[in-house]
Amino acid sequence: MASVLKNFCRRPQISNDFMYQSSWHRRLLFLIADGSKNKKFKHGFIREICRQNRKSLCAGKVNSNVKFKPPQRCLSTNVEVTTEKKTLDPYSLVEDEISRIPKLIKQELVTLNPELQSTAEYYFDGQGKFFRPMLVMLVAKALNFHLTNEDRLLPSQQKIAMIAEMIHTASLMHDDVIDAADTRRGKPSINQVWGQRKSIIAGDFVMAMASISLAKIRDETVVSVVAQITEDLVKGEFMQMGSKENQDERFAHYINKSYKKTASLLANSCKAVAILGNCGDSIADIAYEYGKNIGISFQLIDDLLDFTSCDDVMGKPTAADLKLGLATAPVLFAARKYPQLNALIMRRFSQDGDVQLAREYVAKSNGVTETRELAQKHSDEAVEQIKYLNKSDSLKALETVAKLVLSRNK
Amino acid sequence: MSSPRIRQAFYRITRNLCDNKTISFNAVRKLSFFDRSKTSDWKQAVSEAEKIVGYPTSFMSLRCLLSDELANVAIQLRKLVGTKHPILKTAKGFLDNGKHSLQTRGLIVLLIAKAAGAREDSFDKHEMVSGIYPDQRKLAEITEMIHTANLVHKGVVNLDNLQETNGSLNDMEFGNKIAVLSGDFLLTSASTGLAELNNTYVVEMISQSIADMMTAEFTPLRDLHGNAILKKTAAFTDWERQTFLQAGSLLSNSCKAALELVGHEDELKQAAADFGKNLAYARQMHEDLLPFISPTVDINGIISSSPVIKHTEIYNNEEDVSSMSIDELISTIQNDTETLDWCIWKCAEYGQNAVDNLKLFESSDAKNALNRIVQATTNFKQTKS
Repeated sequence: MASVLKNFCRRPQISNDFMYQSSWHRRLLFLIADGSKNKKFKHGFIREICRQNRKSLCAGKVNSNVKFKPPQRCLSTNVEVTTEKKTLDPYSLVEDEISRIPKLIKQELVTLNPELQSTAEYYFDGQGKFFRPMLVMLVAKALNFHLTNEDRLLPSQQKIAMIAEMIHTASLMHDDVIDAADTRRGKPSINQVWGQRKSIIAGDFVMAMASISLAKIRDETVVSVVAQITEDLVKGEFMQMGSKENQDERFAHYINKSYKKTASLLANSCKAVAILGNCGDSIADIAYEYGKNIGISFQLIDDLLDFTSCDDVMGKPTAADLKLGLATAPVLFAARKYPQLNALIMRRFSQDGDVQLAREYVAKSNGVTETRELAQKHSDEAVEQIKYLNKSDSLKALETVAKLVLSRNK
Repeated sequence: MSSPRIRQAFYRITRNLCDNKTISFNAVRKLSFFDRSKTSDWKQAVSEAEKIVGYPTSFMSLRCLLSDELANVAIQLRKLVGTKHPILKTAKGFLDNGKHSLQTRGLIVLLIAKAAGAREDSFDKHEMVSGIYPDQRKLAEITEMIHTANLVHKGVVNLDNLQETNGSLNDMEFGNKIAVLSGDFLLTSASTGLAELNNTYVVEMISQSIADMMTAEFTPLRDLHGNAILKKTAAFTDWERQTFLQAGSLLSNSCKAALELVGHEDELKQAAADFGKNLAYARQMHEDLLPFISPTVDINGIISSSPVIKHTEIYNNEEDVSSMSIDELISTIQNDTETLDWCIWKCAEYGQNAVDNLKLFESSDAKNALNRIVQATTNFKQTKS
């Protein structure tokens, strides 16, 4: 039995395309990977299933002792049912750690030069949502619990959360110059205050300091994984400059760009904390896929809000993407119904009235709804990815995050 | 620099000096000696050194130059022709200098790598090409990339300080965008390359030097737009710090990292780091002295060059040099032989320190090449005769 399963998994179409398999395949693969790591695989597939069921039952009990006491949940292995009952604020699980981050970052950015320091710290004023560190730390906690049954967070994992925020902010400092932004988080953007030149240089400084703290973790694999983030960020920015003639290619281009500009940071940070937690490759992949899907969903909603929100709520100007000539999901969906939009997309909304016209077409079409549906699909996929991890509060919080991403309005 | 330009420069300075009647004919002859010896010595030292390392440092690997991203940048750059955005000058610099081995940072990293050689107990000597490991070559390339990225990012201009003659707001904004993106591209290529070296200490050292280069733009010797300025309280130690931040740190850390990659002893690594630092000081001192010898060379940043700072320090900041015109400034310094002599002596001292740092290394053609580069950088002896 075991060897049959092993051969089954080696078939490339299955191992390569992990995320598109049916849940049965996925469950099988997961068990094999998990089982072989725990050296229990030899006991066979059936026993593994039993063990897995026992594990989730135990996990349910542990959780119910901690905070919530829905007794029937202990008997249920159905993820959907349990998540319906969850209303926990995911931030509350890592509140202390998050509140320490601004201070930690400021310690990393210490330099003898007061002007450089205040420029570099300008966006670390604690006003950010700290969505990225929150997500990364929750993933780390969920994985640690899965492996050790202990609710803990390694210092190195906490550091990755901080580094993710630093990289994100450094990229904002450069983006604001590139996009000629006026405001960010309800205050003047960095280029307005310090000028374009020093904003760029301070951004490089933050990135350099982030990579020093990364190096100090002393893990070569993690360095490579995080280096991938910065490469993707820049490649995404380049992709944003070009667009594709063909409609289908254009959508793929857009999703790929969203992955590089937003999701890669989450996906690879999650992978990094998995590596630091000594999870195996299969679990690191789960972390990566979770982060990636959340990231894409997050970006889709961001692009959607650019059409539906008003300036005051967002803290940054809306319809900004159109004004920058960028065609995001709502427009791309709308263009399927109104091909007239294609000409506007290709000229990057550069003529007078283009922006307004595009907004009207989007409003007339199902662009916004379809964008939300796509975001929903990615959010569901994220939840699907983590459903075989042992149940813990952090895991539930991750499921909540997948919902929060969809329901946020800023 | 081509020889007709040097000759032209020489004529011009001769005429200027004779008009001013402040510097003796001897001085003029001294200067001409210096100029001639400098270029030929330097070129010879560098071209010999390139032979020693097997093949020269490619400015950037082909992989990088052929990438979609940089091809995109090249296309976009055409839109900027006619404006005075600094990125054009930087881009032109790659093409002009690419052939003439001005990428000496990478070369020096390769030379010190070869001078240090393999560890005695190592079994991977067969991986070396011309006595250098592939990882060390990668590092040399990364060093060049970081230096270039820094040049590109320093060329971002502040849009509220535009002069009409430089180009329209739109063009300059576009130029900035290209500069930010291409600089970021070089930096991330460098950081991916660093990650591939599989040594977190190397990542740390090189990242530290990037941070130092950024800090250099926020010192009291630089204004908001990156222009050199001089405060009345400036002292020579400010110049040293500035030079270390903007050039010394990268060269020093790269030399050290080249040895770290092979796992050499700490003492040798430190010697390599000190060598890089001293060579950077000597080179900067040399460059700073040039405008007072040949006025045609780039006079950007002359106000915070070492002779001016030393002059300010010696004369206890009595004169307000920052209000002088460039010509006045040059002739003031040229009259101040005490300062010039001191700077030449200091340059020689840095050079001597660099040579001393190499004493720990066994003698080899790579070590000789490094010594010749130091000599070419500090060659002021002929001017004294």
